[in-house]
Amino acid sequence: MATASISKAERTYIQSSLQANPPLRADGRSLLDYRTVFLETGVAPLANGSARLNMGKSPQEGGGGTEILAATKLEVEDVETGGGVDGGRLVCTVTCSPSAYPQLSSNALDELQYDLTTVLHQTLAHPALHPCNLGILPRKKAWLLSVDLVVLADAGNALDALFMAARAALWDTKVPRTRPIQYQGRRGGGANEDAMEAEGDPAAGARSAFDTRDMKRDAADFELPDYWDEGEVLDGRDRWPVCVTLNLLPPTHFLDATSSEEGSAPVKLLLTFSFPSNQPTSLQAMRMIGSGELLLAQMKSLLADGEKYARDLFQALEAKLRDEDVRRNVKARGKFAMR
Amino acid sequence: MSSRVEILNDGGYRSDGRRQYELRDISIDTSQQGSADGCCTLRHGLTEVLVTIFGPREAKMRSQTLHDRAVINVEVNVLPFSTGERRRRARADRRILELAATIKSTFEPVVQTALYPRSQVDIYVQVLQQDGGLLHACVNATTLALICAGIPMTDFVCAVSGGVHSTEPLLDLTMLEENDLPHMTVAVMPRTGKVTLVALETRLHVDRFAEIFKLAGEAGQALHKEMKRAVRNRTSRLVDAMETSMKQPVGGERDVVMEDRMDF
Repeated sequence: MATASISKAERTYIQSSLQANPPLRADGRSLLDYRTVFLETGVAPLANGSARLNMGKSPQEGGGGTEILAATKLEVEDVETGGGVDGGRLVCTVTCSPSAYPQLSSNALDELQYDLTTVLHQTLAHPALHPCNLGILPRKKAWLLSVDLVVLADAGNALDALFMAARAALWDTKVPRTRPIQYQGRRGGGANEDAMEAEGDPAAGARSAFDTRDMKRDAADFELPDYWDEGEVLDGRDRWPVCVTLNLLPPTHFLDATSSEEGSAPVKLLLTFSFPSNQPTSLQAMRMIGSGELLLAQMKSLLADGEKYARDLFQALEAKLRDEDVRRNVKARGKFAMR
Repeated sequence: MSSRVEILNDGGYRSDGRRQYELRDISIDTSQQGSADGCCTLRHGLTEVLVTIFGPREAKMRSQTLHDRAVINVEVNVLPFSTGERRRRARADRRILELAATIKSTFEPVVQTALYPRSQVDIYVQVLQQDGGLLHACVNATTLALICAGIPMTDFVCAVSGGVHSTEPLLDLTMLEENDLPHMTVAVMPRTGKVTLVALETRLHVDRFAEIFKLAGEAGQALHKEMKRAVRNRTSRLVDAMETSMKQPVGGERDVVMEDRMDF
């Protein structure tokens, strides 16, 4: 990944202070501390779900930190003629603002975008995480869920932040309610009488041509019923994974590296866990970035540690997301009722 | 006809409840973003843009530099979820390149590029949300970001869009109005009254042009006040921060410790 270029002396300085006893970091954190994370959902009014995440903003100056904007958008796709897949599909795209990586040329930026997109897309679009309410009409229409993430500023550990922002945006996503509809010819009428005629003729029978009952099997199209809320929540809220990056510095490892620390850790281990409720924890993705080797025994303990950190992160994120939900939905409803 | 949204109703109100010459509310945030030299998030109604400035700095490609002045480089990125319909625009999209070129030519006469020969000023524009008046939001945000970056300019550049509904001029159009009306964007330099940008993409009756042009000039003055206030606020905050740090010298306590050690 793109790391700020730091000098050899600076790298050694950072490495030796991280390995010192007790370990020292420039911002006074311990090795396993995360920076403060700010999260807000519902930031893009035109998206179906969105979140803005900042990691490490300095509270006095109101700036700095890794900043991610994530939004999901739903589009209808035709399964028969278009590129749709029965049951819906998820596409994930990461865009990096040139202001986040001022040292990179536009080609290098494209490569970085591609790398990040691959990691995110491969993990989030996996069938194990697929939400079950993305289909509209079986074998006919389905939703395309596009998750767009933008890195507005990078002050280190962009991957953890990206996964967190993606999880928040997906958690916030509402799928519009749909109702299948179909046109029917008049019963007992001529075989070539079409639905429009049947509808126009008042003597055609008691049954309306426009019937929405029991049509799951052979519905032709769907409609969006007018309803007061934006739809039902996207399925699989609890399954969306969180990612922890373990920066390995042989005897120890540390979490949430800043840009300069990222540049001085030779190997990074990327672990993505999903914590579905009432199901066992699953490891969704694992990547080793950088050059170096790891002993198998070491790997096992790192995995166990990683799961612990990821669980803490997951619980903190879950609490915040529920908080946001209360702020935006329950309180807003109360305010509306007060008027 | 009744189902259509009325652009300007009999009472003189527009679809979003504004009067003819009323501008949408503006919010300006000039807090630091990453490692940028200057940045500004400007929200104009529902249109939101984020501009970051880097420079003047050494150009990434030396071949593009000029020996007597700085080069201004503008890159625009429109986020896929900024409009109602999701649409990915490539960076080389014609529409985006045109927007970037317009911003560049607007600022070339205003930024004192001659002070920084052989260098480059990068202007990165992120369009976060669109609801009409994209160009003028970009221009206003760029002005503020350049000021925050401390790049010398001869004046502010304040832009506003104007359109005409039958014979009634309107200011600061929303997306809905932009789609239906002939409109143009004018950028003025409020102190000198000079105009650095007039962009007209639709057909406009020649008799109406002068009227809108004059109105937009006056609206530019109003915007100038708002932008100046934002700059003043930011500067006074900076001055305050400097003063508090001057009053409490950081080295004060440490000096005592040093003296203690000297006793050994």
